[in-house]
Amino acid sequence: MRRNAWLTAGKALAGFLLGLAIWWGMSPSYATLLSKSVEPILRLSEKPPVTRLRAEERNVIVNRSDFPPTSARPGVPAHDLTFNLILLTTLFAANRGTFSNRNVAGFSFALLLLYLTHLLGLTATIKSIYALQLGEWSRVHYGEVSRNFWAGASHFYRLIGLYAFAFAIWWLCSPGASTISNASAGQTRGWKKGKKRRGKK
Amino acid sequence: MLASSMNREKAFFLVKFLLVIALLYVVIALNPVNDHVIVPFTEGITSISAAMLRGIGQVAEVSEGTLIRTTGFIVDVKNGCNGIEAIILLIAAIGAYPAPIKQRLFGIIAASIALQAINIVRIAMLVWLGAHYPDIFQLFHVAVWQTVIILISVLLFLLWSSRIAPQRLADSR
Repeated sequence: MRRNAWLTAGKALAGFLLGLAIWWGMSPSYATLLSKSVEPILRLSEKPPVTRLRAEERNVIVNRSDFPPTSARPGVPAHDLTFNLILLTTLFAANRGTFSNRNVAGFSFALLLLYLTHLLGLTATIKSIYALQLGEWSRVHYGEVSRNFWAGASHFYRLIGLYAFAFAIWWLCSPGASTISNASAGQTRGWKKGKKRRGKK
Repeated sequence: MLASSMNREKAFFLVKFLLVIALLYVVIALNPVNDHVIVPFTEGITSISAAMLRGIGQVAEVSEGTLIRTTGFIVDVKNGCNGIEAIILLIAAIGAYPAPIKQRLFGIIAASIALQAINIVRIAMLVWLGAHYPDIFQLFHVAVWQTVIILISVLLFLLWSSRIAPQRLADSR
């Protein structure tokens, strides 16, 4: 393996371990941030607004003022929805010029975008709990289309969305000097040139 | 000029990538596809993983298609553990990338085989980890191996896009 490839692999490994440590260490605080951010989003669609979210360790506990006082409160393991941070950190660490201003700025913007996708993921997960997991109450308050929509949104996010969003955000926010951007641009330009030459013949 | 062209390429790639992801998700979410393709595929992956475990001297029995039973530990291989999500990501990335159809097919088939080979190792290792170190099973199951599989998918896409596609394009000219 060439020296550059070893260097990239080493940087990716360091980014992976750093991402893992940040994700695991910060997930209780991040669950608090997410619960405070998603609560107003959910309450926007409620008349009267009844949802209350609170963080317990790494879980977001869903409460509603119209829940019977003695019933159990559903919980969402927030860290299951946010571990794509590790993927994003690894990809940015593997970029050329890891600590360059452009890469650091791109990573900062990427974190902001990732946070927005986490809001979407948690919102969809809680709405799918409302639509599917509260027995008769779910059937009364959510029609078939709504149930399918929220179940699909939540399932999509967990199965593929959280990876696809992290990859897309990296692609979007990586500076032009990143390996992939160069490959992409070179490939596209080369292909277009080739087509042009063939056209002249 | 070049920067704006690159940004346009990036944006175009992203739109196509996300559209293909959404389309493939809808396809695999259909009940007939799930029942006749995804479930049998997952059962096949489960059987091969169990055989691998037996090959290294572990007790591993398959039951109900997707359950692997080992000493004091049972794993149910579900969607999300069968590597389909990594293959979808790969197909979307290669599909969105500007290259001739033959090169895309070559990339998708070769990389999917490599991904599934690694995924079988992942399942076998997770079962082994669950049986011997159950305290760290969840961490490795959720965060480590899931991320590693997707990273390998991205790496295979990078290898294909930066080396194989241009080389083969040059050969075809």
